[in-house]
Amino acid sequence: MTINEIRLHGVLPDVFVGDSRDKGDIWLADMAFRRGKFYLVEAESGAGKSSLCSFIYGNRSDYQGKISFDGRDIRSLSVSEWCAVRSRSIALLPQEMRIFPELTARENVEIKNNLTGCCSRARIEEMFGLLGIADRIDTPAGRLSVGQQQRVAIIRTLCQPADFIVLDEPVSHLDERNNAVAARLIEEHARALGAAVISTSVGNHLAVQYDSVLKLSAKS
Amino acid sequence: MIRRLLRKNISIAQIAGYALANLLGLAIVMTAVRFYADVSETISADAGGNSGLIPADYLVVSKPVSLLNTIGARSSGFSDEEIAGLRSQPWAAAVGAFEAADFNVSASIDFQGRGMHTFLFLEAIPDEFIDVDSRNWSFNPDAPGEVPIIIPKDYLALYNFGFAAGRGLPQLSESTISSVPLMLTASGAGRSDSFRARIVGFSSRLNTIAVPSDFIAWANARYGSGAAGKPSRLILKVDNPGDPAIASYLRQCGYETASDRLDRGRAGYLLTVFTVVVCSVGAVICLLSFFILMLAVTLLMQKSRTTLHWLMLLGYAPAKVARSYYRLVGVVNGGVFVVAALCMAGASSLWTGALPGKAGAWPVLASLGAGLCLTAIITLVNFYVIRRYLHRLF
Repeated sequence: MTINEIRLHGVLPDVFVGDSRDKGDIWLADMAFRRGKFYLVEAESGAGKSSLCSFIYGNRSDYQGKISFDGRDIRSLSVSEWCAVRSRSIALLPQEMRIFPELTARENVEIKNNLTGCCSRARIEEMFGLLGIADRIDTPAGRLSVGQQQRVAIIRTLCQPADFIVLDEPVSHLDERNNAVAARLIEEHARALGAAVISTSVGNHLAVQYDSVLKLSAKS
Repeated sequence: MIRRLLRKNISIAQIAGYALANLLGLAIVMTAVRFYADVSETISADAGGNSGLIPADYLVVSKPVSLLNTIGARSSGFSDEEIAGLRSQPWAAAVGAFEAADFNVSASIDFQGRGMHTFLFLEAIPDEFIDVDSRNWSFNPDAPGEVPIIIPKDYLALYNFGFAAGRGLPQLSESTISSVPLMLTASGAGRSDSFRARIVGFSSRLNTIAVPSDFIAWANARYGSGAAGKPSRLILKVDNPGDPAIASYLRQCGYETASDRLDRGRAGYLLTVFTVVVCSVGAVICLLSFFILMLAVTLLMQKSRTTLHWLMLLGYAPAKVARSYYRLVGVVNGGVFVVAALCMAGASSLWTGALPGKAGAWPVLASLGAGLCLTAIITLVNFYVIRRYLHRLF
């Protein structure tokens, strides 16, 4: 299924209910993320960036309000529909990366690519090369540094056709050069698919041109 | 790759423990079922060729003959109330009365130039109790043709091994006897007629010389005195001759029956009880082992919870993730079933040689079927538990 719009109607994480702080541009607002646009979601720690990503990805539902894909409440999606969304419509790079330490870097990418059939073996190896970890491609991921694991996670995220690419602090452990390379790869991928990018950041954000910068919550 | 990810937490000790426990339970159940099927087939074959686990059997019931009967002070016939009492018993599938001939009967035979003549008695029972091929089992009074007769198998045995052997007469087979024409002479009420007759069967169930009830009814009316007595013998069809309630009721009413049938039935009953007890023990062991497997699989999934969750977040469907566990459960249970079947086959060799006759295929099929059913139930319930766990985790 192609998703053109992700709309949030008065969404607020349950943990923030009763909290009188300013809720920013997203919580409790009626707003939409549209396909093809690049969004930067800026916030301090604890403002609910990862919660937002998890809500949109169907990983958590501890919120009030409504999130809809092209008008359909995502709470009504079945298990098989979520599987289709996660392998065809929305790509997620979680903050904690979720790399399987017992698999090699290549296998961590292939486990996603086997499901989607999105990238050729050569393309995967090319991305490893561009991100400077070609020599670690057959190393068990558990033995990679956090920065290297983040690059593996970025490549895995790009091994999927998507309408929305949701990146939760995607370059928090990358240097400027790798940030630029990752940004270029992500931007090329998104532009090729006509996909939206929703990237969260606490400061070190992905170096792409954003159409919209949203604040998740303001100071007390 | 998924299998590799999920394999790491498999506890060989837990799975082996389960497999051993389930093997024990399954082997006990399969062996008990095989033993039961083998032995009950032998018992039913002894009981006259009926098949079935505990075959329906027939009992001939009479009242004991005492001095009072001899001097005519007491009737040995069954009253309508007594027959109704038997019919009302839950174990009595059907009750039929022996109808005795109320006239004089004699039979003559011309066999290889030697003529024989004897007085005879005839009885009839309802057709449903006849245990020989009853295609010719009828008599039409309007066109009296040949009268079919059934005699007990024991009579032929008495002749062949007692009378014929002692007197230097030829022994006769069932088919020879059946081909010899007989002449029945019925007389009484001032009439006397002769009828052609033929022995159409040999019964192991009836201890009498039986003719169709149509013939007895017609002949009693024609040659009888009209004083139709009460039936002195009844034939009962019972579902399980070993049911202790039968012996208890018969004893309570003072009725007699051929005791070997009840003994054989009792043996069958004890066999059933024994098998049920052993099967129950085996089934309980299987049930406990099933819980071991369920715990082992649940624990395994719990240990792999994060991996499972991440795989499903990548887009893998629960059914696809579950396949590794389905395979594990399927292979272990399949292996246990095969080994249990081999154990059953090995154990059965201890008694199959001691049983008379060649056992058919059904004891093996019954045993394999029981094992397969148990294995299938254990496997499917485990599949369900795995599926439910993954859907909850999704």
